[in-house]
Amino acid sequence: MPEAGMEVQVTRAGDGTVRIGGEPAGPAFTRAVLDVAGAVLTWPVLGGPGLPTAEVHDAGRAQQWLWALYGERVAAAVHHCAAGEPGGVTVAAEVTALAGGAARLALGHWAARWWPASYVDGMPALEPDVLGLESASLTHQCQQFFDGSGDQTDDCAAELIEEHQAALDPLIHWWRAAPRPTATARRLESVLRLVADAADGAGLDGPALRRLRSALELDPDPGRPAGVPLDLGALFAGPGEYALTAGGPLVAGGRVIARGSGNNDWLRYPPGFVDAAEEAVSWTARAAGAHRRIEVEVVADAAAPAAAPLVAEVRVNGGRADRVPLARREDMWTGRADLDLPGDTVPPGIEVGVLLPGFDPGPGAPGDAAHRDTVRALARRRLADAARPRPYDAYAGPFLAEIAAAARGEDF
Amino acid sequence: MPPQSRPTGERRPRAMVIDRAWRGLGPGLEPLSGPGGAPLTRTVKLIVLPLVVRPVLRPELAADFLDPEDAAHLETLIRGSGERLDATARWFTLLKRTRRALGIVAGNPQDLYFQRCFELATEHGAPSAGAEAVARAALEEVADAAGGRTVEALKDHLADAARRSRLDAELATAWGSRRPSPAGAASVALAAEALEACGARPGPERNSQAFTSMVEGAHGSLLGRALWAHAGGVWGRDDLPGHLGLTAHQVPPRPEVGRSASTATLPAPLDRTLFERLFTVLQSSAHRDELPMVPELVRREVGRSCAPLGLYDESLRVAVVLGGRLAVGLDPLGGGGESAPGRTAAHRAVNGRWQREASVLRARRMTVSPRPDPEGGVLDALAEDLRTPWAAYMRRLWVRLHGRDVRDAPLDDLASAWAVLDGVARSVMMDHRARVRSALRALSAPGPGQASEARSA
Repeated sequence: MPEAGMEVQVTRAGDGTVRIGGEPAGPAFTRAVLDVAGAVLTWPVLGGPGLPTAEVHDAGRAQQWLWALYGERVAAAVHHCAAGEPGGVTVAAEVTALAGGAARLALGHWAARWWPASYVDGMPALEPDVLGLESASLTHQCQQFFDGSGDQTDDCAAELIEEHQAALDPLIHWWRAAPRPTATARRLESVLRLVADAADGAGLDGPALRRLRSALELDPDPGRPAGVPLDLGALFAGPGEYALTAGGPLVAGGRVIARGSGNNDWLRYPPGFVDAAEEAVSWTARAAGAHRRIEVEVVADAAAPAAAPLVAEVRVNGGRADRVPLARREDMWTGRADLDLPGDTVPPGIEVGVLLPGFDPGPGAPGDAAHRDTVRALARRRLADAARPRPYDAYAGPFLAEIAAAARGEDF
Repeated sequence: MPPQSRPTGERRPRAMVIDRAWRGLGPGLEPLSGPGGAPLTRTVKLIVLPLVVRPVLRPELAADFLDPEDAAHLETLIRGSGERLDATARWFTLLKRTRRALGIVAGNPQDLYFQRCFELATEHGAPSAGAEAVARAALEEVADAAGGRTVEALKDHLADAARRSRLDAELATAWGSRRPSPAGAASVALAAEALEACGARPGPERNSQAFTSMVEGAHGSLLGRALWAHAGGVWGRDDLPGHLGLTAHQVPPRPEVGRSASTATLPAPLDRTLFERLFTVLQSSAHRDELPMVPELVRREVGRSCAPLGLYDESLRVAVVLGGRLAVGLDPLGGGGESAPGRTAAHRAVNGRWQREASVLRARRMTVSPRPDPEGGVLDALAEDLRTPWAAYMRRLWVRLHGRDVRDAPLDDLASAWAVLDGVARSVMMDHRARVRSALRALSAPGPGQASEARSA
């Protein structure tokens, strides 16, 4: 990743695309991306905010924002590179305000898909509507990146507002109750004003947006005594009570011949189905007479639907992968199947994974578990930060959804 | 922005020059500006460039980078329009308020009113006494631009039984006088030549001998007539039907008149009724004011629907040949390798774009399995559409070309044809992404009451 104030490499690929910085590395869940006019921007989420790498496929359209993100030297280098000058050049990039907003927006989109919510790990989920509205506000703030020609899916402030407007009233309530001046109160006001402005420009209307407009016109009483405690947990009620109950053994009897943890590969199923903990997938192999069976238990995400066509993938001694359908039982996805265990291998080598058929792009790389741990550590660090009062910073502070999650996490 | 010192004489990004000049105009422009004070990209696209800078009249200002003198000229132009831009911003605020009061919600107000507001500012200056009435009239005028060219008017027009049976007879006559012809494969080599000139940066040459020869040689009509004759091997591959999914039948059937349509159940393009063909045109709000009135639309669609490929204009028919040649080499899942025979520069550009999009989808956790999976349900069906991308591509391409044909907008050169071909490729990917998104949403929250995007009449 090129760092702000550092030099960046601008190169031209064979198909005419221009690259700023290197190839993104690491598994998909460590990359925050933004689909902008003429280019795709990528930040490594583990690397902290800074300048993104870019793959510019339409240099002409990208010129509207290149100078504002990287500075005019980089814009000029891309221009020359796209015109066919061979080889790469190294150019000094500049720190810009736009870079901070864009990094934050990309991270918001990332968090909506990869936040490692887990009951097992004690990692609270982020309220999707609160995160969605903050992303809408950031999209509006980053409007220079989008040209309204309809081919940039991240040019979606209006869609995000419509989809997540359920959080408008709670956010207004939170803003009114928040003691001021605090960073959180300023952040709330900034998000709400940006959402109102974006909605106004896009011609959106509705009862919640009208309440927002009048709330912003009547600024809450600045002399109101601070410290009226607000129960954020009640304001953003999570997906309900969650008491992990395994529900007892699936089969009575049978001798346990082996048990172990499976592989919880985030890439293989969509968000909101499976608890993100490394230990969320477990299995037990049993023998009853000549019969061998395997039982798979996967801790469900707290917001998981009651039914989904998830399957476990079971592989014995590196053999063929068999699928075991999973069904929801209390807070678990569970399934069992007969197992064809060769009698002479003890203990058998059993690998178990969980995936959604049709979604699964195939298993990730062997080193992904370490990356998942780093992502969990990042989330933990961010929540710890969110729980601490800190000075207002337009770009580096926690997301509102993280502040709410940190408050809820205390009674998690 | 940090202050920057640059040696004089250096060329600067035009976007930056516009940004600086805009900020220099001072307060009052907030309704046309983004949260950070930069002009909205729509302000630049719809007001500043076409109405203030006007690069059509000043080609030296059409470039992405400007010499110091040109930059100074551009700044002067923007500074000189400061008062008018200020008045434009006031009109826009007034129009938005009036629109809300009238309960109008359709369309994006910036797209709909920006240019009109600039015109109002030019004509009246800032809004003053009586401005409310002017605003109201302007809103009604924009809303009336459809001028009766609506799906409702089409429905009324085709409700008359006598008219329908007359149209049916006309369709029978026109269909009977077609001239099917089995020859049509020769166009593919010329199409490949034209596609090799596309996709390169920057864009294709305006004039392409291959494209001109195809239009002059009526190669698009040849394809259309070959489809009527059920010619095989048109695309140099025996596993693909000549029609590439433009019809669900071996040969296109005679069009019916029809009385209703629904976006969810539209048949393949060449199997559509007159009503369905025009429904698609009238449904999209763009360019509505360029359309003929409904009776004329219907009258012309009779002949058009019985013409080769359901299109009148030869350059648009040739675009079907180019699109077909492109579509059979598309590889959205990236399994086929870029060196596959028959891939042109256009294929590399589109496949590269689709694979970039696929990496964005991976990073956003919106994947589909690259290999067929019988248990994959709706997601597998979406992946299957990507494994046979020519069907979705040709369907969208035809609709776009048909829309151009209806409003008499031929493709004058290869560059314009490539813009359409490339745009269709982008739309196919956007469609895919929207479908994956809604499929995943349905899976995470099962139950009735899913919002349907389909529209019908």
